[in-house]
Amino acid sequence: MRNNRAAPPWAHRWALPAMVLVTVFFVAPFLLNVRFAFSSWTSFRAEITWNGLENFGTLIDQDLLANAVTVTVLYAVLCMAIQNTVSLSLALALQRTSRINTIFRSAFFLPTLISPLAAGYIWRGLLAPDGAVNSFLGIEWAWLGEPSTALLVVAFIDAWKWSGLITLVYIAGLNSIPRSLLESATVDGAGPWTRFRRVVFPMLAPALTFNVAVTLVGALSAYDVIAATTGGGPGDHTRALNVVMRQQWGQGFFGSASALGFTVTLLVIATAVPLVWWLRRREVAG
Amino acid sequence: MRALLGVAIALSLAGCAASAPEEVKLTLWHNSADPAPLLEMYKKFEKQSGHRIELVSIPSDGFEDTTQTKWATGERPDILEYHATVSGLLALNPAENLRDLTGEAYIARSGDLYQAAGSVNGKVYAAITGFPQVFGLYYNKKLLPEPPKSFADLSTACATLKSSGVTPVFEAGGSIWPTQILPILYLADANQANAYGKAIAGHSSTLADSGSPFVAGLSAYAKLKADGCFNKDIVTAKFEDSMKALVTGKAAMVAQHSDMLPALLAAAGGDQKIVDENVGFVGLSSGKPLVTYAPGPIGTFYLPKTGDAAREKAALDFVRFMTGPAYAEYIAASKTFPVLKDVPDPEGVSSVLQDVKKAYDGGAVIAFNSDIPGMGGLAQLMSELIAGQKDPQAAATQLQSQVEQAAKAAGLPGW
Repeated sequence: MRNNRAAPPWAHRWALPAMVLVTVFFVAPFLLNVRFAFSSWTSFRAEITWNGLENFGTLIDQDLLANAVTVTVLYAVLCMAIQNTVSLSLALALQRTSRINTIFRSAFFLPTLISPLAAGYIWRGLLAPDGAVNSFLGIEWAWLGEPSTALLVVAFIDAWKWSGLITLVYIAGLNSIPRSLLESATVDGAGPWTRFRRVVFPMLAPALTFNVAVTLVGALSAYDVIAATTGGGPGDHTRALNVVMRQQWGQGFFGSASALGFTVTLLVIATAVPLVWWLRRREVAG
Repeated sequence: MRALLGVAIALSLAGCAASAPEEVKLTLWHNSADPAPLLEMYKKFEKQSGHRIELVSIPSDGFEDTTQTKWATGERPDILEYHATVSGLLALNPAENLRDLTGEAYIARSGDLYQAAGSVNGKVYAAITGFPQVFGLYYNKKLLPEPPKSFADLSTACATLKSSGVTPVFEAGGSIWPTQILPILYLADANQANAYGKAIAGHSSTLADSGSPFVAGLSAYAKLKADGCFNKDIVTAKFEDSMKALVTGKAAMVAQHSDMLPALLAAAGGDQKIVDENVGFVGLSSGKPLVTYAPGPIGTFYLPKTGDAAREKAALDFVRFMTGPAYAEYIAASKTFPVLKDVPDPEGVSSVLQDVKKAYDGGAVIAFNSDIPGMGGLAQLMSELIAGQKDPQAAATQLQSQVEQAAKAAGLPGW
């Protein structure tokens, strides 16, 4: 049964603090800075003039933009898929509150508390050709230096870093499913897989919406883990938009760097808005 | 009586305040690789002047990027330690942001140093106290009694060393920047009297010209890679790894510069004897044993305009201290060679540093990219070259585009 009661007229006031924060820390800086993406701003001279789409043209001519967008999107999809798969499995395994599960939940949550740069440096050491991982496996493989594995490995490191948090959201979602519903399904003869597919997964829709959106959008603006592990290499195989932005900035091409920042913002908006809209519709339909 | 005593104390305190110099806090952005004797000089200046220096350490890995990033926010230190190359200087927009030091006494005492470094359009902005970074080939004397003198020799040595199971040349692609050194060394022959650098900066030649020295340098590098002359972990290894491999005899050669001597010493556990017994240094270019030099960031100081008269005066005092009577003391303590002509060479210089000086005196050519803006992308392109994503010609074309972008932005004549 749908809830047809209209929201009280004062309900939107509760959104005010969030709207103020978003306006001050996102909308205003974005609007104030967007002009630099279309400017000749460099460290080489003081004058900043309007130059239209020249920065984008330069980035395309130098083979930087298309590759960076591809790497960023691929990385975001990998991070989202790995994190949600790992976290949902963990949530199902650790759903019941018991002493041992609490210990495991804490253990999996710990990486969330580590700085992303520190996490990156730790993993870079572990995954070095003469590092602990290769010593344990008895192989010689440059996990972060091979074009075929670098992006995937960095996505796994990102997943290791954030999966604890995503798992907690899924556990909260699982615990909000009425027990009576699962019992009814069991009485009707549904096995564990059918219960998961027909009852649990659809009821997890709000948690899924949040987790998919957060992991995807977070990975679109990735920088720190990549900078600490590969620095964008090998070659340009992990050179995401923010990594190129940092390199352009470092060379004094501030207008081009701003153009890349603008591209990240557009990518986030173009992905997040339709995605959340679609997932929310799916929740209502469910 | 008590009132009189109070007035007397107040007057005496006021007198003290008037005679004591006012302490000024100076911010100094410095390279984290500053050697201990230089850090000691900062302390000595504090002691002598009564001012306080707040050191802001910029990691030497990614030093240029990080400095530029901080600089771009509009933040300005009172003293900036940075590269003295014209390309490095142009990226700071010196006319707008830096104080003109032309006319300071140390400039006349430095020979023609400021003709090639630390100055733009006839104005001197830098105070260079460090001997130029001398780029060449560190080699393990036990593995390689006769070091190569040209890239042809290098290829021959590579084949011999490989067959004996030693890594011929250790490259640190994980630190990214060291991979550009070998191609720059290759170009020393073509850049005598900075001829090639001037042609590129003046736009009479381009990096991507068919058969250009630059393309030839990248091709020579690609050939070494194809011949298996580099370490297996070229993509992930850091420059500290290269120093260790050289000292321990796992690798025979590393292309690096002379400011890496402290890192070399650290790799030998701080034992100078181990370094001197195992490591030598020579020049290398496409055809002759030339070294390439570039005025380095270590000990090169700029005074950004801050608008605060007291701090600006104290910062100038710092430059005068570093280039004044204390300089000889610094040279003696650091055991590096002086750039001020009236200061004697230090005694007890390590054998490897003597090699550096000998190679420098034997034939030194300024790095071809010293005057060319926009060359910061070379290191990233080397990563792509190593990964096989770009061939030498494509890399040269892309770099030329970045040079054009920077040269136009800097308003260089001819662009």
